[in-house]
Amino acid sequence: MTVTEPGTEPVTERVTLAAGASDAEIIAAVEAWLRAHLPEDWQAAVARGDLAAVEAIREDPERGPAWFDLLGDSGLATPTWPVEHGGLGLPADRGAVVTETLARYRAERHNRDFVGLVLAGHTILEWGSPEQKAERLPALRRGREFWCQLFSEPGAGSDLAGLSTRAVQQADGTWLVNGQKVWNSYAHLADFGLLMARTDPSAPKHRGITYFLLDMRTPGVEPRPLKQMTGNAEFNETFLTDVVVPDSARIGPVNQGWSVAITTLMQERNGLSGRPAVGPGEADELVARAVGNGSWEDPVLRDRLLEAYVEEKVLQMTTVRSFVASGDAAPTAEGSIRKLAHSVLAEKLGVLGTDLEADGAVAWDPAEGSEAADRFLAMKTYSIAGGTSEIQRNIIAERVLGLPKDPDPERHLPFNERGRG
Amino acid sequence: MYAEQREPEFGWTDEHRGLRETVRRVLADRAPVARARELAEAGERHDPALWSELAEQVGLQGLALPERYGGFGGTLLDLAIVVEEMGRVLYGGPFLPTVGLAAPVLLAADGGEDGPDGGPAAEYLPRIADGSLTAALAVEAWGPAGEPVVTATADAAGRLTGTAPVVLDGGDADLLVVAARGPDGPAPYLVETGAAGLTRTPLETLDLTRRAARITLDGTPARALGDPGRGAVVLARARAVSSVLVSAEQVGGMTAATDLTAEYARTRRQFGRLIGSFQGVKHRLADMAVRQEMAHSAAYWAAWQEPGTPEFAQAAAIARSYCGDAFLQTGLDAIQLHGGIGFTWEHDAHLYLRRARADRALLGSPQLARAELVPALVPTVPARSTTEGIPA
Ligand SMILES: Cc1cc2nc3c(=O)[nH]c(=O)nc-3n(C[C@H](O)[C@H](O)[C@H](O)COP(=O)(O)OP(=O)(O)OC[C@H]3O[C@@H](n4cnc5c(N)ncnc54)[C@H](O)[C@@H]3O)c2cc1C
Repeated sequence: MTVTEPGTEPVTERVTLAAGASDAEIIAAVEAWLRAHLPEDWQAAVARGDLAAVEAIREDPERGPAWFDLLGDSGLATPTWPVEHGGLGLPADRGAVVTETLARYRAERHNRDFVGLVLAGHTILEWGSPEQKAERLPALRRGREFWCQLFSEPGAGSDLAGLSTRAVQQADGTWLVNGQKVWNSYAHLADFGLLMARTDPSAPKHRGITYFLLDMRTPGVEPRPLKQMTGNAEFNETFLTDVVVPDSARIGPVNQGWSVAITTLMQERNGLSGRPAVGPGEADELVARAVGNGSWEDPVLRDRLLEAYVEEKVLQMTTVRSFVASGDAAPTAEGSIRKLAHSVLAEKLGVLGTDLEADGAVAWDPAEGSEAADRFLAMKTYSIAGGTSEIQRNIIAERVLGLPKDPDPERHLPFNERGRG
Repeated sequence: MYAEQREPEFGWTDEHRGLRETVRRVLADRAPVARARELAEAGERHDPALWSELAEQVGLQGLALPERYGGFGGTLLDLAIVVEEMGRVLYGGPFLPTVGLAAPVLLAADGGEDGPDGGPAAEYLPRIADGSLTAALAVEAWGPAGEPVVTATADAAGRLTGTAPVVLDGGDADLLVVAARGPDGPAPYLVETGAAGLTRTPLETLDLTRRAARITLDGTPARALGDPGRGAVVLARARAVSSVLVSAEQVGGMTAATDLTAEYARTRRQFGRLIGSFQGVKHRLADMAVRQEMAHSAAYWAAWQEPGTPEFAQAAAIARSYCGDAFLQTGLDAIQLHGGIGFTWEHDAHLYLRRARADRALLGSPQLARAELVPALVPTVPARSTTEGIPA
């Protein structure tokens, strides 16, 4: 079956998979498709374990996008999306088997597409107008548009609903946006941004926000890369100055943007704990490294490694379980359990990775770099981005265990009367 | 040994749900935690009337035993559900020692459908299924690669001499399965309780809901179990099964302790607020919930693997490592968040902590479980060099 969407000529037939297909059936179907469609040199590179060669094809400006067009039109990039939007209509756990199989051939979408493919994709599927779906989903499926998230602000991080970027509707129906966002990963490279702005300052903070799909090329949108503790500049502060946004870019009703954001945030937490499969992970890599450099002989280090290995495996099992349990349902607060467990584990692995090195990864040959040091420096991402671990603990305590909500004296005050008490 | 599990991991069926509900209902009625405490304080081993009822009316002892031995042919997963429910209410009767520790050895040693009839499995398993026989597993200690360390040695005539220092239910069980050193290495033997040279010395136990004894064998007549030379394999297989069941029991205990504590945090007030509104309390409870979810996944992932496969053995060791540590921490946290009342004899919190510590020692420590992962994880490193000096 093929679908025709405005402006896209499908480059391949859609794969069909039954919602009740077994793991083995899905794997067989996806592998057969990959053998028929994946470029031969790509398949050969996978077969001989030459990941650098695969990466070169994936990042090739011609061949990369050509592959992701094909993957997108086959439906395999978006297995859980509804069939009418180019997906395969599979439940979460079946879709995960598709993605896992792709990953074994390094044929899956780039990690950096997470904000687009997962966050924007599911948010638009749930809240988008028919026009927004028709315009954005095909490009998301194919990876032709790159997305960023414009949520956090200098004054609103954990207390995201306290954001103060303003959007004011003009006489012609367009919105005039002014404000500043911060920590926006890849905003300097993005085509579109998920934007929340305040549209009714006289309402309590959760009830005066509207959500937009912002074209990052609009005049007045100015991302400025910020250098991170890792030394890289992946996130940005984004200035929004008299940005004119058409009302057609609004997603969800006016002043109900917080409900739309919940969809995005749940998907984010759910997606930040690793893929739903039990198999080799980061701990396995560290064990191999330790055996290779002899640090495995240290019994204390060895037990710490095994402890991290056990934790990683158990988290993988938990992720599989939640995918099986959720089926077609949207992610729930339980996603916070896995996100929290993942950030705790990421820190253990980050520190362990440096402990395995004879020199603690404190100095290295500039030509070679140090993967252990890179990972050490990146590990704190997970306990902050996507909601801090403290916020995840609050969510678990309140939504899973039914404990009282944290006091928030400003919750019911009009936004513009906060901070006066 | 157990029936094969066909559904994919975590694909619960209505049968699974129904079983859980039935067991939970029976235990809530007949064996709530208060009853475990009552029996412990009265110095009773268990409630024999309930034991018979579990066998005759609910069919739990034989649930996962083969039909040819009077069982219902259920899976290890079915059994894990039962044991988890028992763990929630701190049921302390002979179920785990008999069905969870001793029966797996009899099953692993059995030749299966094609094996000879009339062996020890055919003799004893039907009596376990109908509730007329209880059994215990006597092992001196577990060694670095998961093999039994034995001081008990079999002589040419099959008579055993040695000691197992702590045997769960060992003073009361009707049959002892003893891991001893035979002519071909470690192997399981059966010892009848009236056998000559057998001394069972009752011990005081940390886990008040369970009894334990020291078993001393002095030229005690015993019967070798299974094929000679396969003993180590049999014991390792059975131990993996037992690890899954002990993990399931730990999940049950952990879940109950977390529920109990969350409930307290939702009702106890200090400083004019519910204590559950303090982040110090909320966040500790959130961590308890994380551990419980993860432990649940570990135990049932293992229960879903096919017994006897390498994946099963690894998953069982992963579960034993994770659940053992997790339950202990949750036991500590449960007492902490109850304050003074949590330190009293009357409160149930310490019963969970006691169980947590005791279960953690049943099949060797979590650290030992991790060491057992090594041979498959790093095949080139000899197991011995990886675990020297690890206490059981
Ligand atoms: C690598 C990285 C990438 C990111 N990418 C993006 C992105 O693409 N788009 C985007 O919009 N944002 C992004 N973020 C921002 C991220 O979501 C926020 O940093 C995060 O939500 C925390 O907000 P904050 O930085 O303002 O810290 P704050 O909210 O000021 O928190 C400071 C400290 O106070 C604690 N705290 C705050 N409130 C509470 C409470 N109620 N109870 C207990 N403790 C509390 C926090 O846990 C934290 O420890 C990124 C962050 C990082 C590190």
